Amino acid sequence: MLKRLLEYVGFEPGRFQARWISGSEGAKFTTTIKDMTEKIKSLGPNKKMRDDIV
Amino acid sequence: MMDVIQQLREQAKKLLEEKKVTLVIGFGQGTELARTTPVFIDSPEGVSALTWGPFCANNLAKYLTDYKNAEGNVAVVVKGCDARSVIRLLDDNQISRDKVVVIGVPCPGQLEWQKVAAEVKPGASLKETADNGESFSVKTDAGDYSFNKKDYMLHRCLVCENPNPVISDITIGKELPVKTYEERFAEVSELEQKSTEDKSAYWDKQFSRCLRCYACRNVCSVCTCQICVFDQMLPMWVSKRTNLSENTMFHITRAFHVAGRCVDCGECDRVCPMDIPLRKLNQKIHKDLGDLFDSPTPGSKPGIPSALGEFSPGDPEEFM
Repeated sequence: MLKRLLEYVGFEPGRFQARWISGSEGAKFTTTIKDMTEKIKSLGPNKKMRDDIV
Repeated sequence: MMDVIQQLREQAKKLLEEKKVTLVIGFGQGTELARTTPVFIDSPEGVSALTWGPFCANNLAKYLTDYKNAEGNVAVVVKGCDARSVIRLLDDNQISRDKVVVIGVPCPGQLEWQKVAAEVKPGASLKETADNGESFSVKTDAGDYSFNKKDYMLHRCLVCENPNPVISDITIGKELPVKTYEERFAEVSELEQKSTEDKSAYWDKQFSRCLRCYACRNVCSVCTCQICVFDQMLPMWVSKRTNLSENTMFHITRAFHVAGRCVDCGECDRVCPMDIPLRKLNQKIHKDLGDLFDSPTPGSKPGIPSALGEFSPGDPEEFM
């Protein structure tokens, strides 16, 4: 719901991600973080809701 | 609508005389023709202040929480949409059923007062209003006017789900058929289709106007927290600085805080002094609640589970 709302107000899809990873799912954790880092790097710096924008 | 007003006054008088309630909350004529003001009547003599018509946009259910600890019972005049608020307050245990008398009035739609005021001669006083199906006729001492519903009603009334109160102890007037003038989520769908940049630009333009007056929060019938996150200083969840970044945070948080409880009464949108289309945020949530959880509008029936308030094994799990 929140992800959809954020994308609705103009955040890029993928900027906000949520995953459920249990303590025993080390492999899932690494792949998720790798994917997330790649995705965020490809999106570049966030432009919305920043302190330096007034 | 004179007969509705007459019945409304009689019922209110009866309730007060029989001491079934100590207070009746209803609509009273405002200082301008096209405006009404909430009236709080505590004596049978006062009922002549009550009125009804196409200028009764306020959601009076909001006031019920103010009287939840009062000794006597309270009667409140509600339209179809306001009745959803009453159900939501009951389901949230904010008010108790035995302390509230719901006077339901089937609503023919509410006119946008600014649009009406622009047409009517300034200073004219209202004589009578009547519902003619597709339009309202407004009789004043400076002439008679007719207002087309499609062009002059509040947007929320154009997509009204239930003109008839979904909860009511005393119903005044005849039940009305559901009549909509456009698709309920047409505006939201249109905005959803736009590109990320366009959506961002659209909302930046809206949010940057926000004064942070908190009228949208204060008028909201499901904003019932004793201490609001936006008032808290320690910790200060959202800064009080009025800039685009903080305003965006405020609006996303406000919309999401009422997600699953918002009854779509559209009051936040109506009271906004800067005309920020707040209902488009709430409606997005309503649309998603329907798509993902098959959830009806909160408050449309008593006891419907809140989609975000409970877990069911069939819930979509996009985060797994």
